Amino acid sequence: MTPPVCDDVRMRRLLGHPAAGDDAHVATCDACAVATAALGHLWAAFAADRPPIPPPALAPRVLAAARPLLAARRRHAARRALAAAVAVALLPLPLIVFVDVWVLQMIYGTLTRFFPATLSFYLVVNYAAVLALLGALTYGAIPLLAERQARGRYEALHG
Amino acid sequence: MASDEELIAAVAAGADEALAVLYGRWERPLHAFLTRYTGGRDVDDLVQETWLRIVRAAGRFDPARRFSTWLFQIALNLARDWRRRPPAEPVDPADTHLMAAPDASGRVDAGLDAARLLAALPEAQRAVVILRHFHDLGEDDVAAILAIPRGTVKSRLHHAMARLVTLATDADPARRREASDPARRREASDPARRRDR
Repeated sequence: MTPPVCDDVRMRRLLGHPAAGDDAHVATCDACAVATAALGHLWAAFAADRPPIPPPALAPRVLAAARPLLAARRRHAARRALAAAVAVALLPLPLIVFVDVWVLQMIYGTLTRFFPATLSFYLVVNYAAVLALLGALTYGAIPLLAERQARGRYEALHG
Repeated sequence: MASDEELIAAVAAGADEALAVLYGRWERPLHAFLTRYTGGRDVDDLVQETWLRIVRAAGRFDPARRFSTWLFQIALNLARDWRRRPPAEPVDPADTHLMAAPDASGRVDAGLDAARLLAALPEAQRAVVILRHFHDLGEDDVAAILAIPRGTVKSRLHHAMARLVTLATDADPARRREASDPARRREASDPARRRDR
């Protein structure tokens, strides 16, 4: 079994980072002297090893193969942004509906003091229809705004 | 200049240019790693498959990790899967010559052939030597790439080194004589004496 100090000396030599006391150790250790000579040849062989340069056609090939995956990632990112926007927009919806219903009840109560119940009901239903239309338009615009914002952010980041 | 981690986040959002920059940065190291690990067979296909996996998994990249560690880990896993496939031509280990092959002029280089030395190592030791020596990665990084403890990295490296020393000594009769002769040995390990000669 090789003592740990010999192991460390040889490892540093193989990695090309010999320490200050290594030469002194090698001078006194026969096993390390044998290994050091072989390591010198090894180190020279490793240093001379030049792996082939990647072929020029490889980069376009890899990037072309990745293009559909990147497009799928863009679609996925857009869908996630949309889902987040819709989720955030839906959070206050129960409160908005509750407040609207409360306001409509108040208006109906006030109107019935001055007008017949049928007329008051007609006016309140008209107002409720306008509110519903505005709400639908607001929520319908969310996907469009989210998509536009995501595209703007992507273009700002990546040109 | 954007860091690798920023670029991979952009790749996760589908940015083509970020992938091109990242690819340009890591093309040579990855190609060299796979060439040395596999011995040079199907390297281009492995490089392509590695990048496709990178793009597919970009959303799961942990920003606390280093991109290089992740890249080599994916490449290594792919190369291991690739090795399970039978080779096109079976190789007899006894036929593995450790000396460099003749060049175009028919001249034989006196040095050892690194590719053949690496091929003579067991797979687990070869990966450690390539990552530690050729890519200058620290023991912690190598341990993270191979998913093994740091102590195992050290022991594999030491076993690999012992085997390489034996192979280097056995490969050349002159070196065998040198190893058995203390005077020649000291001279070989002392560059000053070699210069004086």
